[in-house]
Order: sequence, then C-alpha cells, then structure tokens
Amino acid sequence: MTRRVLVMFAVLAIIALGLAFYALHLKRKVARDEQVAAQQQLALAPPANGPPTSVTLYVASDSDGTLRRTQVNVTLPPERTERDRAVLRALFGQYLQSSSPHPIGAGADVRDVYLLGDDTAIVDANAAFADAHPSGVLAEALTVASIVVTLNANDTKIQRVKILVNGQERETLAGHADLRRFYEASNIGQVVKDLQ
Amino acid sequence: MPLSGRRSRLALAIVAGSALLFAALWGRHAIVHAQSAAQNQLTVYSPQTSYSVPLLDANGQPYAGLVELLEPLGSVDARADGKKYKLHFTPPGGRPLELQFTEGKNKGKVRGNGYKLPANFVVQNGRGYVPLSVTSALIAKLLATDTELHAAPRRLFIGNVQVRYTLELHKDNPSRLLLGFSSPVNPSIATEPGRVRLTFRREPIVSSVGENVPYSDPLITGVSFSEHDGLAELDVTGTAPMMANFADGGRTIIVTGAPAPAPVAQAAPAPLPPAPANTQNPTPQPRQPATPRFLVLIDPAHGGSDIGAAITPSLPEKDVVLALARRVQHELANRGIAASLLRNSDVAITLDQRATSANAARPALYIALHAANTGQGVHVFTALLPAANLSPQGFLPWDTAQAAYLELSGSVAGSVAAELESRKLPNTRLLAPLRPMNNIAAPAIAVEIAPPAGTVDEIANAAYQDQVAQSIAAGIAAVRAKLPEVRP
Ligand SMILES: [Zn+2]
Repeated sequence: MTRRVLVMFAVLAIIALGLAFYALHLKRKVARDEQVAAQQQLALAPPANGPPTSVTLYVASDSDGTLRRTQVNVTLPPERTERDRAVLRALFGQYLQSSSPHPIGAGADVRDVYLLGDDTAIVDANAAFADAHPSGVLAEALTVASIVVTLNANDTKIQRVKILVNGQERETLAGHADLRRFYEASNIGQVVKDLQ
Repeated sequence: MPLSGRRSRLALAIVAGSALLFAALWGRHAIVHAQSAAQNQLTVYSPQTSYSVPLLDANGQPYAGLVELLEPLGSVDARADGKKYKLHFTPPGGRPLELQFTEGKNKGKVRGNGYKLPANFVVQNGRGYVPLSVTSALIAKLLATDTELHAAPRRLFIGNVQVRYTLELHKDNPSRLLLGFSSPVNPSIATEPGRVRLTFRREPIVSSVGENVPYSDPLITGVSFSEHDGLAELDVTGTAPMMANFADGGRTIIVTGAPAPAPVAQAAPAPLPPAPANTQNPTPQPRQPATPRFLVLIDPAHGGSDIGAAITPSLPEKDVVLALARRVQHELANRGIAASLLRNSDVAITLDQRATSANAARPALYIALHAANTGQGVHVFTALLPAANLSPQGFLPWDTAQAAYLELSGSVAGSVAAELESRKLPNTRLLAPLRPMNNIAAPAIAVEIAPPAGTVDEIANAAYQDQVAQSIAAGIAAVRAKLPEVRP
C-alpha cells in the first residue's frame, strides 16, 4: 500500500469513530427524551379511586376563536386545590390529544394549584406548558381564557387566577399573552367570540 | 501492493462524503454566528419609502440580503436550490426580471445577461447576499434609474430622492438660523447647552453647502453635516442654550436661542414604565411643539433574538411581520396617511421599550403586527384590560394606559375587520391580554395574520399580504375622521 492510501484510511477511521460517537449521543438523547415523555404521560393519568364526577370544561377552538362547553367524567380528589388541579389536568388532556382543536405543547401539565384567600387561585404549570406552547396571540389568549373560565365553572368561588410556570412568574406565555397579571373570571370571557 | 485507481477514487469519495456530512452537522453553528454578527444596516431611500436592510459580514466585506433589498421596491420571489439561487423581481407595473447567482461564485445573470459581482455570492440560511458595493449598480439595472451609494455611511439613494438643505443666518436678537429643506422633514431633535443636533433616519438628506459652515455670530457659531450608520446629522453649535422649531409644514427648521428655563406643563401626562428606562432606549427625542399631525405607528412585533413564532423552520414571525409592516405603510401612504415603523430592521426591542417609544412618538393610532400558525386568516385584537380600574384624575397609570382609548381602538378594529370581510378574507375580532397593548396611550389594535387556507408558506405570499395590508389601511382610512390628530 502506498503512503497516501494509508493516510487516507487513517483519516477515514477517525471520521468513522467521530460519527459513531455522534450517533451514540443522538441515541442516548432520544432515549432520555422518551423517558421524560413517558413520565409525563404517567403524570397525566387521573388518580384511580372514588367514583367519577362530571366536570365542565371550556375547550378552546383555534379555527373560530371560541370556547366550547364540554362535560367529561373525572375522578376528583376530596381536597379543593387537588380538585381544581384535576379539572385543569382534564382540560390539558383534551388539548394534548392528537385531534385537539387547540393543540398545546407535548408534556404540558399542572404542577400545583393553590389559593390566596378564598377567591384567588394560583395555577403553577410546568415548564413544558410554556416552553412548548404554540406562539401566537390567539393561541395564547385562548389557553389563558379556557383555564380561567374552566376553573371558575367548577369552583365558582374562584374569581381571580394567576398562572405561574415552574413556580416562577413569567412575562408572557410564549411571547404574547401577559402572565404577570391576575385574570378576572368576570371579564376574561371577552377574549372569546362566544362561550358555547 | 498499490490499490487500483478505481479503489482510491472510491476512498476519496467516502472521505469527501464524510466531510460533507460533518459540514452539514456543523452548518447550524456557522449560521448562528453569522446572524449575531449582522449588526449594522444599510438605509435605502426610494421615492416611495425609506427602509433598512441588515448587513452581513462575509469575505471581509459587508453584504446585503437581496430579498430585504428588493422587496420594498416591488414583488420578490426568491428560491435557493442547492448552490443555485434564483430571484424574480417585479417592479410595480412591470414584468418579472430574473437574477441568478451561484453560492461561492462571482459570475451570475441579471435580466438574461452575464453579471459579474466584485466578490463571491453568499447564500446563508437559504437567503442570498450580494456585496454592499454592488447594490447601487444592481438596482440601477433593475429599475432603470439613477442610484447613488454612500458605502461607508451605509446609505443608498434610488432615483432623485436626495433632499438638500439651505442655510440662512438672520442676525436678529437672538440670532436665528433657518434650515430650509426641499421637502418636509421630521428629524429627531436633541438639545444640550450650546448645541442642537438634528438626526435624520428616514430622510435622504445630503449636503449641498459643504460639510462645515462656520459663522461669526454672537450666538450661532457653525453648522456641520455628517452621515454615518445609515443616518444623517446636522449639528448646530452655539455659545448659549438653543432650541429648534418647525415651520412651513416641516420644510423649515428654525434654530435660535432658548428662552430662560421656566416650568413647562405637559399637555397630557404620558404614563411612565415601572422600571428605570434602558440606556439603549430607542425612544425618539421629545420635539418642539409643531402643528398637529396624523401619524400611524406600526409595530412589527419581535425582532433580533426574539424570532416570535416559527411559521416554518425557515420562516420566523419577525420576518413575516416586518414585510407586512412595510406593505401596510405603503398602503397607508397610498391613502395619504403618514406611517412610521417602530422597527425597520431585525433588532430586538423589549415590550416596555416598545410602549415607551410608541407613547413618545404620540401617534394617532398604534398598530402591532403579529403572525402565527394558529387558526386561519386574520385575527384583529384590542386590549383586554383588567375590570374597572380607571384612575379618576385623568392620570394614566402604566398598566391601564389603554383604558382611555379603548372605544376608539374598538372602532378601528371593527373597521379593519369589516374591510377584511369585504375582501372575503377569514377574520376573527377578539380581545387579547397582549403585551404591551395595555401600556399604549393612544388608540391601539393588534393584527395577527395566519395562513389563508392552504399551506403555512402562503402566509408570506405577496398577494395575500397585499390584501391584508390593503384591508388594514382601508379600515384605518375609513375611521380616520374619528381619530384625533396629535400634537407631536
Ligand atoms: Zn407575535
């Protein structure tokens, strides 16, 4: 073999090794992502004790800018904030289906709901809720409105709602909707064309 | 034993293939670097409009994006196919003209003839770039008009747009310097003791009387002209505080001694942002009282590192809305309505800065432009304010500055929606908690365009955007009489 060919083989070997490492890195990343996704799917499953209760969801529709009233059966925990959280998870469950009229980011979940006084709810969503949310004025406004209206429909004492992301205040949901303010159930309905 | 020629060619091909693969993997990083380097920009003055084109540093010299350069001058249809780049440019009322270039080559074709660039053509992220030095000749060839490039100060003049000025010193008490312009101007004016600086961002001001004009006068000692970074400046120096006033519908600016300072009451208190103002604030300088005027301020949302929504992987919202903003400005001009853009290049501006700039510009109407993949057609918004939270003193709190204008904002939104409807464009009229709408102390609407019906790419379709821009402009024109003019 000539020296040139030897050098060429050495170069090839180095490139092959580099590509192999890169492929391994990609494979590990995919595996990690799948694991995270699986954990989030698990988190979305409702708690499995007690009889299911009918709850009211206001499900957003991107095509016409409306919120549609829907009844679903959910097993609700006895504690008030846990119940509020379960209702919102049922709403997110609708949005996470592949046929959703208002898709939100995969992995979106509600970490916690807590109350300030009797009438103000703080919804703490996870990072995926905001990070993977479709960016747009309509999309973000509908998400916020449906959360506030749905909470108020099932827990009528809740008059004001603020949304946190991963325990922190955020400037906007995904570049548009204001997340620094408290939303009032009495006027958030104006966001949508119709409540149906 | 030596390998046969065929086998060594095979080995060479594998090496080349692997190298290409690596290049592809690392290509992304290269693009990111190029974008962060694109700081400076070229200002282009055409008879219809003035606009900025971001410049890119490549091959040791500045390059201008072909689409950004040509789009405001006509309609553009560009396509990069591997190393080949093809662009069809149609001047208003003209026929499509073809430009062809190849990445890394300096030879191309313009209108069917061979065309040699002074340096190699650059394609990055699917966009074609030509050396800045050739932009003037290229546009002259496409539009069959005179052009003039001031390369170092980044200014390009198309047609005979140059605005010249005259200087007249009146030795009254105090002395007055009259700056006369061949067409109305609207510079930002900064004053400091012994100095008045007029900065022209959009006006093609050129010097016709020499760069430095000294005076032997007790008050005014000289005027100097300079151009840099895509703008022109006139600096008047003196021995005491001075001020500038507009006269003759903006064709004359009078610089004279400032009266002794006295407390001046503002016409209406403009709301202030809660945080201390940023030093990089793009707020226009406060101007001297002038005649009321009707100005629409268009705010193309996002910019810089904030790309907005990714309409497609290669089509960020920030680009879609800037193109749309220029169309809206053009359509408003067609209807005799002056409009300016809050950003006319790919720069990042915070939400608070947008509101501060908008309120300082005192527009008759503020319009934010967004683009998204959600739903279809056009969404027209006004602000969703907190329920009943109006201050009784007439002072406008920052978080609800919009409250006083909501009724007028609603009229404009309704009028724009009606124009969209009459053009059979799908539209939705809603309220939204969109920042920074609540902080705007003027009638304000937001328009979000989504793809018409077909594929998402159609959001950038020129005919579609033109229809949307026409609807917006016609909707504004229809309610213009309702909107008060504002004293700048
Ligand atoms: Zn946007």
